[in-house]
Amino acid sequence: MAVLEKDTMVSLAENAVNEALKKGATEAEAYVYEGQATSIGIELGQISKTNRIIDRGLGIRVAANKAVGFAYTNILDDSNAVESVILRALSAAKASKPDQDWNGLPQKKPYASPKKTFDDKVVELGSEELVNVASIMLDSAGQVDKRVFPVEGGIGSAYISNAIANSNGITGFDKGTVIECSLATLAKEGGSVTPVCFEFNASRNYNVDPVWVGKEAAKLAVSALKTKSVETKSTTLILTQFALQDLFAYTLVNAVKADNVQRNQSPFKGKIGEKVASENLTIYDDGLFPGGLRTWAFDGEGVPHQKTVVIKKGVLRNFLYDNYSAKKEAKESTGNASRAGYLSTPSIDTTNFHIMPGNKTSDQLLSEVDDGLIIYYLQGAHSSNPVSGEFSVVATPAWKIKKGEIVHCSRGVMLAGNIFELLKNVSLVGSNERQMGQLISPWIQVENVRVIGK
Amino acid sequence: MKDLLTKINNTAIKFGAQYAEARAQKLFKTMLTLKEERVEAAKQGIENGVALRVLVNGAWGFASVGSLNSEILESAVSDACRMAKMASSRLKTPIKLAEAKVINDRVESKPRKNPADIQMEDKIKTALAVNKTGLGFDKRVKSCTIDYLDLTGTSYFVNSDGTSIEQDKLYVWARITASALNEGVFTFSREEIGSTAGYEVFDEQAPEVLGEKVAKRAIEQLNAKSLKGGTFPVVLGPNVVGVFVHEAFGHLAEADLALSGGVLASNMEKKIGSDLVTFYDDGTIEGAFGAFKYDDEGVPTQKTLLIKNGVVTGLMHNRETAQKFNAEPTGNARAEDFRVEPIIRMRCTYMAPRDHSFEELIEKVKQGYYFKSFRGGQANLDGTFQVGIQEGYEIVNGEIGAPVRDASISGNTLETLHKVDAVGKDFQLDQGRCGKGQTAFISDGGPHIRVKEVVVGGST
Repeated sequence: MAVLEKDTMVSLAENAVNEALKKGATEAEAYVYEGQATSIGIELGQISKTNRIIDRGLGIRVAANKAVGFAYTNILDDSNAVESVILRALSAAKASKPDQDWNGLPQKKPYASPKKTFDDKVVELGSEELVNVASIMLDSAGQVDKRVFPVEGGIGSAYISNAIANSNGITGFDKGTVIECSLATLAKEGGSVTPVCFEFNASRNYNVDPVWVGKEAAKLAVSALKTKSVETKSTTLILTQFALQDLFAYTLVNAVKADNVQRNQSPFKGKIGEKVASENLTIYDDGLFPGGLRTWAFDGEGVPHQKTVVIKKGVLRNFLYDNYSAKKEAKESTGNASRAGYLSTPSIDTTNFHIMPGNKTSDQLLSEVDDGLIIYYLQGAHSSNPVSGEFSVVATPAWKIKKGEIVHCSRGVMLAGNIFELLKNVSLVGSNERQMGQLISPWIQVENVRVIGK
Repeated sequence: MKDLLTKINNTAIKFGAQYAEARAQKLFKTMLTLKEERVEAAKQGIENGVALRVLVNGAWGFASVGSLNSEILESAVSDACRMAKMASSRLKTPIKLAEAKVINDRVESKPRKNPADIQMEDKIKTALAVNKTGLGFDKRVKSCTIDYLDLTGTSYFVNSDGTSIEQDKLYVWARITASALNEGVFTFSREEIGSTAGYEVFDEQAPEVLGEKVAKRAIEQLNAKSLKGGTFPVVLGPNVVGVFVHEAFGHLAEADLALSGGVLASNMEKKIGSDLVTFYDDGTIEGAFGAFKYDDEGVPTQKTLLIKNGVVTGLMHNRETAQKFNAEPTGNARAEDFRVEPIIRMRCTYMAPRDHSFEELIEKVKQGYYFKSFRGGQANLDGTFQVGIQEGYEIVNGEIGAPVRDASISGNTLETLHKVDAVGKDFQLDQGRCGKGQTAFISDGGPHIRVKEVVVGGST
């Protein structure tokens, strides 16, 4: 099915806004989304499935007398469906209660052009080529060691576009591409099975390395075969991006969202200008980071993406705002309204949460550790206390570092502490940055984390 | 609808598919988010679409389209056949399906209160009542969020074996969270409720009671202390036992994960737990969150015995894994919606009760913990599990002591099930959601139990 053109999407959004105003909305906003994705799946060691999904829809947010209603539909080719979704949004607003803090939809501002976010080659990729890439990845993993079993993975390419219009004159359209290949493996020897080890490449351009992904996923699994226990004590950790993404997503990221601050659910409340982390730590939220997985021209409310400093040399500088939370403090939105396609109203989230790299390579970071652990995958990070930042998680697995060398793997190691304490104990920041979901980060070394061995 | 889906399946067969299925849905959702008695937005949505799945030369092709247009579906299914054929060129072991009974049925839901018939105003009123009691419980409660969802509609399933099922869908779900703050100490508490019976779930669990339960926990946690990490005996409440059964054992008993290298594949018919351990996954409990009549491959649901007196007796199957294990499909294939393919999911997973009272369970624990309520859990194929705890207490010399905060338990399933040394006679199910790439609505539970030793993660 051909993708919807820019003009079609924009006029769909604009017409919906006009219709909603005619039907009695004080304000209206329409968001049109289209995603077309193709993927080739690996299961139980072989390429065995293909997947093609076309998803498009329209979400309409209206305000009537400061009460907000929202409705969506995925039927776009029927003008009755569009009309009925407008009526549903209005009826939802009517049923709702006025919100005295509602200060209107955002105003129009110019957009920057995002860089390296669209690649024709990704759109044109045929399923035959995708099967080839998946096959290369699978073979590369198999060549590492006979004991490796690729559990699941695959390669997928996607085209995404969105259009927005609101009654303050905002109109926007942006399109982008993503390609990702990934492989999860484990290694088996005798009766022993390792935890699942995982590697991937994700990019906005056709720039993935299936050989590297296959090999790395396999090597990690093999190195997890032989394990020894570690003792219970406080120790030095190197946190890789896998661990950081998991830990931060459920704790630190919550604390910098302005709505959580306003609602007294953030330990950072009232701490702008104060030191909250080690001076080694500088973090930006950068919605325009070239080639970033979350780089777009505008956010879910049509506010331009921007680069916002969150923590500079350990000092808290800014929170992340959508339009509603910003207006509450008579501030400007930082372009952090996020949407799940056409299915949801906007809510605050990070764009590309960028922990600035230091100057130590991964080898140099390792060589600085006399006695500690390096952590890849975590289990249970989502059970962290989302407000206080306390975490109690399992490393699946952890690798022991002794005198600068990785010496063995250890399973069932628990890590416990508080993320806001951990931020203060960051001793070194690596130079090896990569993006993982919302996080762009290097490895980070932290001191004095409680480790519970067996 | 049946004619349209049959026609699409016939097209697939013409393009070389050995099996084809078409699953259509017409769904209507209502959602609410309330924060501190403020309605953030009242939301309604329509989702119509079709999922097409074909098996060609032993490889799957899947396509999802948000349209009921015959031409668009014909083109999508021919693409799916072409792509599956291409993928099949690298197959070592072609996929085959276990036989399934041909079914023609219409399943109507008969709620006492259909959420589709309840006015949005009334739903807001109910949510406000929860929000008000939560927030008004104590002035140290700083925030209270209610997320509400109901989903009604119909799903249609037709496959090339001749099965045709029209099944009503009905879910009502709510999550309540509260945070409290006092002298720099933050706490957080949450509860979920859900039902496939109808909106009457709010008659059984009054909104005010729910709000108070969540707020009370947040306040009590203000006085809780961080706990000491290490290996301890623990008593687990039904809410934690449910998640333990679901995470530590349930996922390993999903046949796709067992085949992926999970530790259960090599332990079929073997004793992996104490005599007191009996687990079921049951899709037949009327009105339960996670119950249904037919799964998304058209297979009838059932009550599946997974482990009996410590011996592994069965796994949860779809038609593909059942064929590999030479077993019957168990009706566990579920798809979140038309955008995704059905995969093996749990329904209502629980431990069978035995004979101990709560007092008998704790009286012999000298120094340990009572973990009453969970916050999140996760498992790995090697048998490592973790369950986070949002409400726990010390046990000192057989008595419940001071509250502890933000703990978790971890261990290996194959070791830990042997350490279950006493099982209570009570029973409780809780409702929740499980993530495995897709979200599924599920329940889990059991009685109180005692575990001789488990690793407890604490920060002191």
